[in-house]
Amino acid sequence: MRILLVEDEAPLRETLAARLKRDGYAVDTAGDGEEGLYLGREVPFDLAIIDLGLPKLSGLDLVKKLREEGARFPILILTARSSWQDKVEGLKTGADDYLVKPFHVEELLARINALVRRASGWTKPVLQCGPITLDTTAQTVSVEGTSVELTSYEYKVLEYLMLHAGELVSKSDLTEHIYQQDFDRDSNVLEVFIGRLRKKLDPENAIKPIETVRGRGYRFAIPRAE
Amino acid sequence: MAIRAEWSSDDRSSGLAVGARPARSPPAGAPGEARRVSPRRRRRLSLQARSLLASSFALFAFLGLTGFALDQAFYESSLKELSYRLRSHVYAYLKDTDIAVSGKIIPPEYPPDSRFDRPQSGLYAAIVGEGTQWSSPSSLGHKLPYVDTLKPGEERFSGPVETELGTVYLYSIGVLLPWSDRGTPREMQTRIHVAEHESGINAQLDVFRRTLWAWLIGLGIVLLLVDLLLLRWSLTPLRRVASDLARVERGDHDHLEGSYPSELDGLTRSVNDFIESEREQRARYRHTLADLAHSLKTPLAVLRSGLDGDDADEQLRTSVAEQVRRMDEIVAYQLSRAATAGHKTFAAGIGIERCAEEIVRSLEKVHSDKQVLCEFEIDPEARFYGEQGDLMELLGNLLENAFKWSQHRVLLTAHRVGPIGARRRGLEIVVEDDGPGIPEDQVERMLERGQRGDERVQGHGIGLAIVRDIVNAYRGELVVGRSAVFGGASFALRFSALA
Repeated sequence: MRILLVEDEAPLRETLAARLKRDGYAVDTAGDGEEGLYLGREVPFDLAIIDLGLPKLSGLDLVKKLREEGARFPILILTARSSWQDKVEGLKTGADDYLVKPFHVEELLARINALVRRASGWTKPVLQCGPITLDTTAQTVSVEGTSVELTSYEYKVLEYLMLHAGELVSKSDLTEHIYQQDFDRDSNVLEVFIGRLRKKLDPENAIKPIETVRGRGYRFAIPRAE
Repeated sequence: MAIRAEWSSDDRSSGLAVGARPARSPPAGAPGEARRVSPRRRRRLSLQARSLLASSFALFAFLGLTGFALDQAFYESSLKELSYRLRSHVYAYLKDTDIAVSGKIIPPEYPPDSRFDRPQSGLYAAIVGEGTQWSSPSSLGHKLPYVDTLKPGEERFSGPVETELGTVYLYSIGVLLPWSDRGTPREMQTRIHVAEHESGINAQLDVFRRTLWAWLIGLGIVLLLVDLLLLRWSLTPLRRVASDLARVERGDHDHLEGSYPSELDGLTRSVNDFIESEREQRARYRHTLADLAHSLKTPLAVLRSGLDGDDADEQLRTSVAEQVRRMDEIVAYQLSRAATAGHKTFAAGIGIERCAEEIVRSLEKVHSDKQVLCEFEIDPEARFYGEQGDLMELLGNLLENAFKWSQHRVLLTAHRVGPIGARRRGLEIVVEDDGPGIPEDQVERMLERGQRGDERVQGHGIGLAIVRDIVNAYRGELVVGRSAVFGGASFALRFSALA
């Protein structure tokens, strides 16, 4: 899951970015509106977190520009103003949710989760594909009711695949959305993660949840239960 | 794990602006512009000058016309009187005039008035027959401009006429006088003329005019003086309002007191309302500031004691997190309280629908998981008399709670209340949901939240405390109950009509 974080207050930006990375998100940060706009144009993000009071290009203008240029990813705005007029203004411009500062990081993580999930067409926080259940709130996975222990990266890979269940996800997409930019892309870490996931989810090789499309990528093959 | 994101004042203006809505700063140079926009205007005429000008104009027009009419009437009646007098002279001559056998006119032995015999006396007579004529000694042989076309029986009054004897008024009659022309009885066509010089009537007119205009001017001056006094008397209440206002400004008085004439009632009431709402606003700022300062002290004290004590790391962390949350809520609550406008006298009415529509669209976006069906029953004529921002806060907080707690349905009703003829109709806004509702014993505690910085009650946030405060500022009423339609919570706001 790749997130754009645009926030001019450096300490907050760094704390948030560190926390998001710890939770397995790939995070790109920008300190002002113009940088944010540049990144937003160049990188296929899954979500943007945009502070409203930004230098150079205000948060509202940034949201408006991104939307005008066709950015489809969900946008969450951060604001110090709690008045409804400001909230309504932000949401009208094209944001999908707002959070009033100061906030709990947990609250932010929950909102991110919900936004990403909704953007991929899932309405409930629990993703269900056949026997496999992924709870995006608790970040747990179970197969036919038995919980499966996954590492943070494994979980992220599975979540990404399940969010896009039925769709072809290219390797580069997956790498870009899961890892930081500076990650070594040529390594076969991804193949290793997929292999481990297959073993943990389907030790008997009976349900074959993850399909390899040769030379192109992966597809989560079990259809959504929703 | 309660790491709290650091406070970041991205909107710097709102960070510190306790007690004031963050003002949109005017563009540089605005004051100069403002001065240019309103050029120095000529001072308007005072009410007194206006009224005096108008009434003196009317007064002089009236008196002038009256004088003119009286003058005309007097002139007419003088002429009439003159014509009667001359006519009686003519008849006197007619009675005593004879025609001699020779055909000559024999005038009366004694004239009807001795002035006919006095030269240049101003009263003249002439008798003209066929081939004969006589004129009174007063005319000294000067001829009067006789009109000799008069037939027997005709009478005519004319004048003023220019003659050798000056300007005169003339009365003439034509008659047939019997005479015997050497024994033969005949009738001679005769005309008798009597003239009077204009000086008589002019002197009379002059006296009349002098008296008339002297009286009229005197009357005019007296009336103007009376008018001035009346004006001063009737403008006294206005002057009193002005001086009372000055007293309020100086702080000697709280409001405009005493009784004013009914015409000023509206004005003074509005001014009083305005003064009061200003005062309330100021008081609100003062209280907010005081409340803010005091309520922040408790969490600060807790934090300090936590640092002084030998709490474990994790415990301190929890304590800091808890107190920071509390302080944040206190600040948010007091900020919104200070920003509440609460003016209710001069606000223009705002329609409910547009505002509600915007908020619901936002909420549907944020709570899109829930598929809440939010219905409106809004009277298009219903108006909220106040700040748009306050209405947004009211609807936003109530609807957000409803969305949060409802299963699937939310209903927003807004309609007018109060007497139909009222200057401003009242407003009732009801927000209902099909959620669990609020236990009766919790209502009070929930509304008190924010003010005390209490614990979270039922997750309703500080929104309701904000709603309650705004409603109070508008002297409205907030009723929390159970929805009759959905069985969930129902929040009703009532704002009374203005008579």
